[in-house]
Amino acid sequence: MNSRIRVGISEFHVARAPAVLVTYGLGSCLGIVLCDRENGVGGLAHTLLPSLRPGIREVRMSKFVDTAIRLMVEEMLLQGALRERIVAVIVGGANMFEPPGGVPANAIGTRNISAARDTLQALNLPLLAEDVGGNYGRTVEFDLATWQVAVRSVRTGDRIISI
Amino acid sequence: MTYASMTEGQLDALKEISNIGMGHAATALSQLIGETVYLRVPRITVTDIGQVPELLGGAERVVAGVTLQILGDARGNILLIFPAESALRLISRLLGKEAEGMALDELGESTLKEVGNILASAYLSAMGSLLHITLIPSIPLLAFDMAGAVVDCVLIELSQASDLALMVETEFHGKEPNLEPIKGHFFLLPDPGSLDVLLRAVGGKE
Repeated sequence: MNSRIRVGISEFHVARAPAVLVTYGLGSCLGIVLCDRENGVGGLAHTLLPSLRPGIREVRMSKFVDTAIRLMVEEMLLQGALRERIVAVIVGGANMFEPPGGVPANAIGTRNISAARDTLQALNLPLLAEDVGGNYGRTVEFDLATWQVAVRSVRTGDRIISI
Repeated sequence: MTYASMTEGQLDALKEISNIGMGHAATALSQLIGETVYLRVPRITVTDIGQVPELLGGAERVVAGVTLQILGDARGNILLIFPAESALRLISRLLGKEAEGMALDELGESTLKEVGNILASAYLSAMGSLLHITLIPSIPLLAFDMAGAVVDCVLIELSQASDLALMVETEFHGKEPNLEPIKGHFFLLPDPGSLDVLLRAVGGKE
């Protein structure tokens, strides 16, 4: 029997097996999976925006791609992960509503994806796989017992990413 | 000004103009489908952004979403969400087709966009003439997917300034009692700067 932990919008969770971390219906939001397989620690975040705009007070730092990644890494280190063993998978960052002129380059989904790539690079964390972009929604299930990330979509079917 | 710092009186005023706007939208819809449309507004809520997908029946439920930008004296977004079965029922009634086993094709998509356009225009023009401001809808955009994914891009815009959304839930019923109801959720999402404009026009104190 596994235990499903639901990760809501602007939240992240760090857990160990037999937990299954799930986040539903990512559109332009970005789901971030981090894990240290050797230590059995993994986390999932559901982020909305690339980064905090200067001058705005904000309480939920896990709303942002860059701060969510940093906070999740810290939490994983506290739970026994080793920084040099942490790898990442990112999912989401779609652009659900395509305007007639095509998706603008500064669309929020696209900006979330590049924020994640930049932050992971700055922290020297390898990006193992990504399932991003497009114009469809995704649900992510990260099973810490099997180290599989299942990406479900009602439009394009399922995909399994093995870590 | 944010939704969180609004007074009860301001919230009531916003609910009231929303009700009137929805009434006009329902009239437009009834003319469109050629039967009387009864409108029920079961809930108007200021809700945490994270809870919005739950109010739509769960983040994974398939819905049709039509979004329009509000342009003019106040800015913001309108988001119209129909559960998949309601969207297909609405299309079948508008096009006079059988709803059973219907998929969303190009004609269905543009029909839904047009419905969104008519509802939003009726809503905004009622609100504008009531408040003596000009509100114009942009062209409608459509997505047919998981509720969580459909609403999140609109919520993202909003979440840059606040963690709350103003949601007007609306149910449309035709006059035939044996016909399945068409349910829809109507979100009015004023930009935080524009909330001041709206509240000033309503006469609420800041």
